[in-house]
Amino acid sequence: MATLSQPLPARDEPRRPNIATADIQLPAVRDYEQVDREIVGTLHPTVAWFIGLGIAVMFLLIGIAAWMYQIYSGLGVAGYNPPVMWGVYIISFVFWVGIGHAGTLISAILYLFRAGFRTTIYRCAEAMTVFAVMTAGLFPVLHLGRPWKFFWLIPYPNWRYIWPQFKSPLVWDVFAILTYLTVSSTFLYIGLIPDIAVLRDRENISPIRKRIFSVLSLGWRNTDREWRHFARAYLFLAAFSTPLVLSVHSVVSFDFAMALTPGWHTTIFPPYFVAGAIFSGIGMVFTIIIPLRKFFGLKHYVTINHLDAAAKLCLFTSLVVGCAYMTEWFVAWFSGNEFEQSFFANRIWGQWWWASAILYTCNMVLPLSLFSQRLRRNASWLFILSFTVNIGMWFERFVIVVPSLSHEFEPWQWTSYRPTWVDYAILAGSFGWFSMWFMLFIKQLPIIAIAEVKEIIRPKLRIQHAHGMTPAGEHFDFEPETPGEHD
Amino acid sequence: MSTEQEASPIPGTAANGVKRREFLKVLGVGTAATTMLGCASEKVEKLIPYLVSPDQTVPGVSTYYATTCRECSVACGLIAETRDGRTIKLEGNPDHPVNRGALCARGQASLQGLYNPDRYRGPMVRRNGQLQSLTWDEALQIFAQKLGETRSRGAASAVFINQHESGSFPGFLDAWLAGFGMPAHLSYDAGADHAAIAANRQSYGVAWPRLDFRAARLVVSIGADFLDGWGAMVPQQLDFADARADHERAPRLIYVGPRRSLTGLNADQWIDCRPGSEMSIVRMLGGQLTSQQASQATGVAATVLDGFAREFAATKPSMVLAGGGGADGLEVALAANALNQSQGNVGVTIKPNEGYLGFDRMASPAELRALAERMNSGGVSLLMVRGANPAFTLPKSAGFAAAMAKVPFKVSFSSYPDETSEMADLVLPDHHSLEQWGDAEPVRGTISLQQPTMDPVFDTRATSDVLIAAAKKDPGSAARYPMADYRSWLISRFPGGAAGLAAALPRGIASGSLGEPTTARPVPPVRAATPIEQSSGNMYLVVYSHPFIGDGRGANKPWLQEIPDPVTKICWQTVAEMNPVTAEKMGLANGDLVAVQTSAGSLTLPVLRYPGTQRDTVAIATGRGHTHAGRYAKAGFNPLEILPVAEDRAGGVAFVSTKASVSKAGGYAQIVTTEGSARQHGRGIGQAIAIADLRAGRPGEDPGASHVAEAPQQSGSEQGAGEPAEEMPGDAPHQFLPGLRSPVANDAQGEQGDPKSKDKGMYDPNHWSGMAKRRWAMTVDLARCTGCAACVSACYAENNIPTVGADWQTGKVLPDRTGFGANILRSREMAWIRIERYYEGGEDGGADFDARFVPMMCQHCGNAPCEPVCPVYATYHSPDGLNVQVYNRCVGTRYCSNNCPYKVRYFNWFGYGEPARPQYAFPEPLNWQLNPDVTVRGKGVMEKCTFCVQRIREAENRATAEKRVLKPDEFTTACAASCPSRAIVFGDAADENWTVTQLAKDARAYHVFEELNTFTAVVYLKKVNHPTPAAAGTA
Amino acid sequence: MRGVLGAFRELDAAVSAIEALKKGKLGAIHVFTPTPRHELEHVLDPGPSPVRKYTLIGGLCGVTFGYWIAIWTSDYWPLVVGGKPIASWVPYTIFGFEVMVLIGALSTVAGLFINARIPRLTMMVGYDPRFSHGDYGIWVECPPDKARTAEDLLREHGAVEVRLER
Repeated sequence: MATLSQPLPARDEPRRPNIATADIQLPAVRDYEQVDREIVGTLHPTVAWFIGLGIAVMFLLIGIAAWMYQIYSGLGVAGYNPPVMWGVYIISFVFWVGIGHAGTLISAILYLFRAGFRTTIYRCAEAMTVFAVMTAGLFPVLHLGRPWKFFWLIPYPNWRYIWPQFKSPLVWDVFAILTYLTVSSTFLYIGLIPDIAVLRDRENISPIRKRIFSVLSLGWRNTDREWRHFARAYLFLAAFSTPLVLSVHSVVSFDFAMALTPGWHTTIFPPYFVAGAIFSGIGMVFTIIIPLRKFFGLKHYVTINHLDAAAKLCLFTSLVVGCAYMTEWFVAWFSGNEFEQSFFANRIWGQWWWASAILYTCNMVLPLSLFSQRLRRNASWLFILSFTVNIGMWFERFVIVVPSLSHEFEPWQWTSYRPTWVDYAILAGSFGWFSMWFMLFIKQLPIIAIAEVKEIIRPKLRIQHAHGMTPAGEHFDFEPETPGEHD
Repeated sequence: MSTEQEASPIPGTAANGVKRREFLKVLGVGTAATTMLGCASEKVEKLIPYLVSPDQTVPGVSTYYATTCRECSVACGLIAETRDGRTIKLEGNPDHPVNRGALCARGQASLQGLYNPDRYRGPMVRRNGQLQSLTWDEALQIFAQKLGETRSRGAASAVFINQHESGSFPGFLDAWLAGFGMPAHLSYDAGADHAAIAANRQSYGVAWPRLDFRAARLVVSIGADFLDGWGAMVPQQLDFADARADHERAPRLIYVGPRRSLTGLNADQWIDCRPGSEMSIVRMLGGQLTSQQASQATGVAATVLDGFAREFAATKPSMVLAGGGGADGLEVALAANALNQSQGNVGVTIKPNEGYLGFDRMASPAELRALAERMNSGGVSLLMVRGANPAFTLPKSAGFAAAMAKVPFKVSFSSYPDETSEMADLVLPDHHSLEQWGDAEPVRGTISLQQPTMDPVFDTRATSDVLIAAAKKDPGSAARYPMADYRSWLISRFPGGAAGLAAALPRGIASGSLGEPTTARPVPPVRAATPIEQSSGNMYLVVYSHPFIGDGRGANKPWLQEIPDPVTKICWQTVAEMNPVTAEKMGLANGDLVAVQTSAGSLTLPVLRYPGTQRDTVAIATGRGHTHAGRYAKAGFNPLEILPVAEDRAGGVAFVSTKASVSKAGGYAQIVTTEGSARQHGRGIGQAIAIADLRAGRPGEDPGASHVAEAPQQSGSEQGAGEPAEEMPGDAPHQFLPGLRSPVANDAQGEQGDPKSKDKGMYDPNHWSGMAKRRWAMTVDLARCTGCAACVSACYAENNIPTVGADWQTGKVLPDRTGFGANILRSREMAWIRIERYYEGGEDGGADFDARFVPMMCQHCGNAPCEPVCPVYATYHSPDGLNVQVYNRCVGTRYCSNNCPYKVRYFNWFGYGEPARPQYAFPEPLNWQLNPDVTVRGKGVMEKCTFCVQRIREAENRATAEKRVLKPDEFTTACAASCPSRAIVFGDAADENWTVTQLAKDARAYHVFEELNTFTAVVYLKKVNHPTPAAAGTA
Repeated sequence: MRGVLGAFRELDAAVSAIEALKKGKLGAIHVFTPTPRHELEHVLDPGPSPVRKYTLIGGLCGVTFGYWIAIWTSDYWPLVVGGKPIASWVPYTIFGFEVMVLIGALSTVAGLFINARIPRLTMMVGYDPRFSHGDYGIWVECPPDKARTAEDLLREHGAVEVRLER
């Protein structure tokens, strides 16, 4: 049995097949002080971090430059090829919104379901959500022909009484995205308050940081009264976020489902998009959390069991998405609708076969590997897989947007699509923007919820048992514990 | 300013698409003397170019002038709409006997000649190798002095080449030349079919008889492209469309030739004979050859020829037309005319006494070739050229340019730079035809008047006035030219003098004749072609005249470059057309570069697989590939560079006279076309019905059936009743009237809308505006439409549509795509109305395919899919049924376009209207042409066809001002107004008295994509097919 | 503001101390804890949190406003698009829902702030940074005369440190 000060090395972690996600424990986290020490310890900037931040900012600048050029010259510098009137920007918009779904899913839905494995990864996921939505929100603006008029989509009082056209899915988007951004960032901040209080009390290097933290912590004092209302509020926020998550991507899918374009005009889009969003979100969570737990030495917080559990969720959503694909094919064939059929033929075997191939491989085939427990518990494989998932999901949106528009009702207007460097630069810029925020986040605020970790580890007691671990039960008793299988 | 005095507008501000009644109104009205002032280039910066506005020129109100189109030899009548002293739109003159209100694409584009940014700004003289500008006085001094020298050194060595025209100017010019002792001028038109003209003279005694298609039962066109500019195009198209519209008595059109031109695509049957073998077809029809012999000569199946011969023998009256520019053109034409005579067609279908005079006294290319030889031998001391461009339009091997360089002094009167005038030593730029006085005699006994419609754009002068001025400077001829200018000379000869002219000007035509009777010119010894079979090469070379750009005159007009060729749908590019089967054999895909080599030279250009090309043939269009005709004319190649000089007996250029060796050159150039898929995959966009079905009242090709996946196999047209209708989910029953009206009415009356909503505003039929009582709609009769794209050019002119294809419009911003047509390659063309050309049948590359032309514009759906998706109400439904686009509310989400099934919305990718940008589409002074009633759309907004809403509102306002209701058919849209086939009809479908309402009730009526329940306001009338009798019902 | 503050290392110690203090009726008890523990909640057993009311009211206001803005603006300037009803309530449900979530969530936060008395500018007397670290604190609000008893109680239940605040 390891000492309290030394975290257990990862290889010593118990290999329990199909561990119930509810009772994932942190065997190597012994007491509250250790939590503070180790997590607050991650907050000190390193050279590597500065380099990473620099790269992110560089990409962002490239994107900004490209956008300024596009605003000056006109949207024509992007690779639009009418009637393919939407391209990389809308694709990336949907992509980022999708990414933005895992966070709230993990923090809210899994919270309601009492899934234990969320505790140590939800902060990360939630931050990812907020930044992803911030990124997504840019695209609808920069794909406009006249971006400086974007505010016409927002209902603001004006003396001409000109309001947005509330029947347009794009206005639905505005409401859904803005609501989602507000609620998820609120959710993130509320969850952060107690942890910021911890930082406020632990910070002993820079008085400025201490000052900032005391302001941000809103004078949080860990009193029973605060905790009581906090728990309530948190529960209701979760209860609100849960349907919100489902609604947001449904609304995004309406952008397509409400149009009569072949390949868009289908009723399965909302569930299909939500599943896809969660799928891609989990993918992105892996992409982010797996390096973090390595570099921040947090493998005993984000254990392989956590990854395992998340991988199962990933597998499930991948199966849902795959099912949706097949439904699409079936309906296209079954409907007997010539437009639909010829469009699907063109999508799968025609000019866009390569995009579809990437999509189906990444989203349907590769995730099946997660049926194997060995791979599920192999962090490096999950990391690789997370990349293919992200690529696959980007191409899913590509396959939805571009081939549909390029092969519509009017054969005379069948065309192709080829992005230009401007599209790519702005896409790269969006990644820069996202990573910049994330980089800043991970060194300023704890990526693991300190208070919640404290909640699930065993409290210090007057009576110490021979083998220490007590699962944090609903009821506390002084009876000796039967030893867990952890050690 | 002398030329501008007393230009006589039609009093009052007549309607758009001026109608007969306006003229009746104004007939008796004497004209008031007008002075058009103040829109010369230095004044245009003023918001309103008048301090004191002259009579009849009210700022913001159009004035209409009747004048004459001089884009080709036919001389159609024009109504020029002039606003604030600038001519902004041309319409056909409804009273004119030739074009009867219609106007072709070239006529429309004449405005871009007037405002061409590359026009000569003023007189220029060549000093040490460079053309430098000088004042008119100096220029005239030099000119007069040269004339003096020439006269002293033997005036016989002077030559004047004039762009061919009818009317009194040629006579005036000859008299002037005679005054200096110079020979009569050469009147040159490279576009004319000299063989046909000569043959007509010989057989009928006139250069160009009237072709009365309505009287014919069968029309056989042997390479005679009477819809692509062969002869009197507009009147021929009018007659042809009328004939075809009368389905029962409509003539079948059989096209014989190696390449299916626009005329060929309008034919019911195509006999794809080998180039140069037309004669044997004619002989077969004449019975001198059996079908087997003919079959061997032409490579066409004997059975087909058999049926052809039998049908021809059986059908009377018929009409045989021969063109095609073969080396034996004259013989073929004569034989064809002989057939007409033997069939008794002359006077019935071919009417010499109603002939067109536009083709008289033409000098043949042979004469110019002979001239080139004379110039080579130094036999010419002074060369004067006006309008014509022989250096470009003659085969390069004729060596005209080289010879011209040897002439000591060359004077050009051309308005624009071109290959000929760029070699001149003295340039005395002529007015554009819309800036000067003149007259034409299109038909016997009718004077078509030409008057200035505006102040000259640049410091140019009418050549006629220059000649007079020069004569005044010459002691010898000064006496004979007392008159101040050409106009007064005209008046002096005009019946009734000044008063008569003034009275005639409002109508633009007068009876009488100013030109003197003309005779055919003698043809110099021609250079006969070596028999085509003996020339070396693996394929026949067919050089044909581009329908818009013609012999190259149109190349400097961006509209004509951008509007896709009606047949190949190519713009800004010259391609080598080959039959798909042949191309397949040679392993050539669209865009692969091939080298086309003849004895005269070689040309490397991309291949286009065009099923309408005979299998052993490669076809190339003339007109593009200029070197000195301005910024727009650089696009493409000029096939005349590789055409060996050869003439038919009539002295015309033999365009089909040699073989060429065609070989893969390696490399690739993307085809600049607006075509997506050339097949409609049975989607029933362009529908057709066989005449038999129409008679029997059968539905014919069934739109429902055309939506099942395996539809593409059915070549539709020929196959009778087709299979039973397949009901699709959501199929709407036919709902024309009142279905046409219902969606809007429903919205207004709350059947589809919200019954409880109290305030429906203007959607309420009881609203004082009464807007909801109207439903603007349009019918397009595919049985009339020939696909000539005149409507497209009219739309460009009326609605300020930018052209986007010039290379500098993308070169800077799309690094991956440069060169002419780069924007088109990304299908960013802006044409609000486009002509979709779909093939039916003939997938095997055979000759038995059918083409359908579908003009596609915004359908103004009653339930428009584009509207509910717009987040900012930038597009919504007006109470009178228009699908409105609000440019300055548009933020450019482009969702509307995504949701438009017809794909008729166009996005402003660049600032086409911003002068500072490379994409600027209207370089000064092209922007003078912009219609003040229509916004120039800004960067980043969506635009589309508005049903010419500016014309609708203008008419409504006029009616309100005159305290009356709109009269049925009182006005129409730009496309409908200019359509030379009368295929487009516009009006209020909610009112029984409008023509459109009646047409929409036709049995052939259908909506495109009706099953989408969009309730379109555009009703198409099915094309009517006249299948080959033998193969009727099968095929 | 006066009273006695006891700091505890162990949870069970704190719990038993609270029980004792409650029995002694020495005054209002505030507990500082690094993380919410059900044990403490049980022993203190407070009433239900009123935050739920804020949530409910906020949500109701939101849904009403969402529907209203969409319907009112449509009817204010009726323009027909695509033959759809001027005010089509079905799609407007989206606005009802989204705005409900938005206002509801924000008012929940307001509820939290109001009830938990945050943000506050000053630390309450007796707070010690260690209470966000690992230790539990019990603050008994009592007059000086009872302070002694409270102190003893805390000590005997194992308080590592007891401070008398005044």
